[in-house]
Amino acid sequence: MIQLHNVSLAYQKDATALNGITLRIEKGEFVFLTGPSGAGKTTLLRLLYGALTPTSGQVLIDGQNVSRMAASQIPILRRGIGVVFQDFKLLPNRTVFENVSITLEVLGWGRADIGKKVMHVLKQMGMEGKINLTPQRLSGGEQQRVALARALVNEPKILVADEPTGNLDDANKNQILNIFKEANVRGTTVVVATHDRRLIDNCHKRLVTLNKGEIVEQMEKEGITGESA
Amino acid sequence: MGYFFSRALTNVRQNIFVNVVTVGTITLALLIVSLFLLVFVNLENAAENWSERVQVTVYFDHELAVQEQAVLRGRIMAIPGAARIGYVSRDEALKRFTARLRGQETLLEGVRSDILPTSFEISLKRPHRDTQGVEAFVASLKRIPGITEVQYGEEWVRRFNTFLNFMRLVGALLGVFLVIAVMFIVSNTIKLTIYSRRDELEVMALVGATRFFIKAPFLIEGIMQGAGGAMIAVGLLWGLYEGFLHNAGSFLTFNPATSGLAFLPLEYIYGIAVAGVLLGLIGSLTSLKRFITV
Repeated sequence: MIQLHNVSLAYQKDATALNGITLRIEKGEFVFLTGPSGAGKTTLLRLLYGALTPTSGQVLIDGQNVSRMAASQIPILRRGIGVVFQDFKLLPNRTVFENVSITLEVLGWGRADIGKKVMHVLKQMGMEGKINLTPQRLSGGEQQRVALARALVNEPKILVADEPTGNLDDANKNQILNIFKEANVRGTTVVVATHDRRLIDNCHKRLVTLNKGEIVEQMEKEGITGESA
Repeated sequence: MGYFFSRALTNVRQNIFVNVVTVGTITLALLIVSLFLLVFVNLENAAENWSERVQVTVYFDHELAVQEQAVLRGRIMAIPGAARIGYVSRDEALKRFTARLRGQETLLEGVRSDILPTSFEISLKRPHRDTQGVEAFVASLKRIPGITEVQYGEEWVRRFNTFLNFMRLVGALLGVFLVIAVMFIVSNTIKLTIYSRRDELEVMALVGATRFFIKAPFLIEGIMQGAGGAMIAVGLLWGLYEGFLHNAGSFLTFNPATSGLAFLPLEYIYGIAVAGVLLGLIGSLTSLKRFITV
């Protein structure tokens, strides 16, 4: 599903963000990326949804080479990838309903179908009572659930999350984690970048540790399986 | 397309403050430009009126018979550029002379009309009133047999045309600077308002919207802002004109007979509307190019 072959990325000549990363994530897998700040977690995620192009190496999603994709193909790629951020990135002027419906509007869905589907997903997230509120009136946990609803409403093949629980308390963290797990059970490949140890420990999923742009440790659910570089 | 329009309208409603700022800026910018145009158009009108005074006079030392007058009249009017022609007989010339010397009639004692010349006074069409035009006309005039003495106030025509060209040059320069300043201010305002909504652009791109899908509502919004700004600017200009400027003409020209300043012709109004729409559209287009980066 996701393959990175010897991927390197340098923002400037002497500032390497990623160095020779090779990684394979199978369909339906749940993977945590971890490592200290500046390890390259966010950069790696951005490569997956085509926001960055590697300096060298190849990024393949579903067999398609993202690094060689034409700009016009990137939107098509992104329609199959849900993205969630630490700061939620909800639109402050739009209601909860409108924030989630954007994803389906982009796909050209009709108004009635959008209404049904958005309501269904918001119900799953426990947000059905707040559809007409704007994000400022929601708690952090609620905002992240709306962001997740936006990412999952079109049932993407891949869900990518960058420090999704960074701004949340423990109760909300568990709620969000459960949503990730449910999506994964339904077949979505989940990649979560975090340095929240508790989140990783509670989950028992595959763990990839990055440091200074390199994979320094890979741990399957059972234990350490390999090291690179 | 319907989706983009309704999205644009919703965007205006949801971002009312930035829209008010943008429309306000476009309105002020276009109002300044249209005020300048109003002044320029009226100065051109005034110049047009003054240039009526560019007149060529042909003198004769004898009274012309009616038939002779008709022949000459026909030949003169056949020269390109001739607009109107009038014959001034000796009696008419004396009448004018007397009128000019009102209050000093004693000077005219013993003066009879037969010492004055007769003449044709010829007005020229608008494009022939510049220095070269007048000179070419006079040259053709002198080629007509029987015409020897021609006067046209060479110095006055030259000075008047120099002044006119100077005025147009200064006007054009001022206009260019004004338009550049206006474009700069409006494009920066639009850039700032779109910058304040860059999250929206980013989110749209993340959920897989094509560039066109992201841009279209913003461009429609830009067009609506431009058209709105232009309409308000023209409305305000009309208000200013009706309220203050309408009767200012007589004050400026020292001539109570003039009817006052004219309002902008219709094609200028259309021009301002098109300029507003283009300002909104191009301002949005260039700003979006910069901010759609994800």
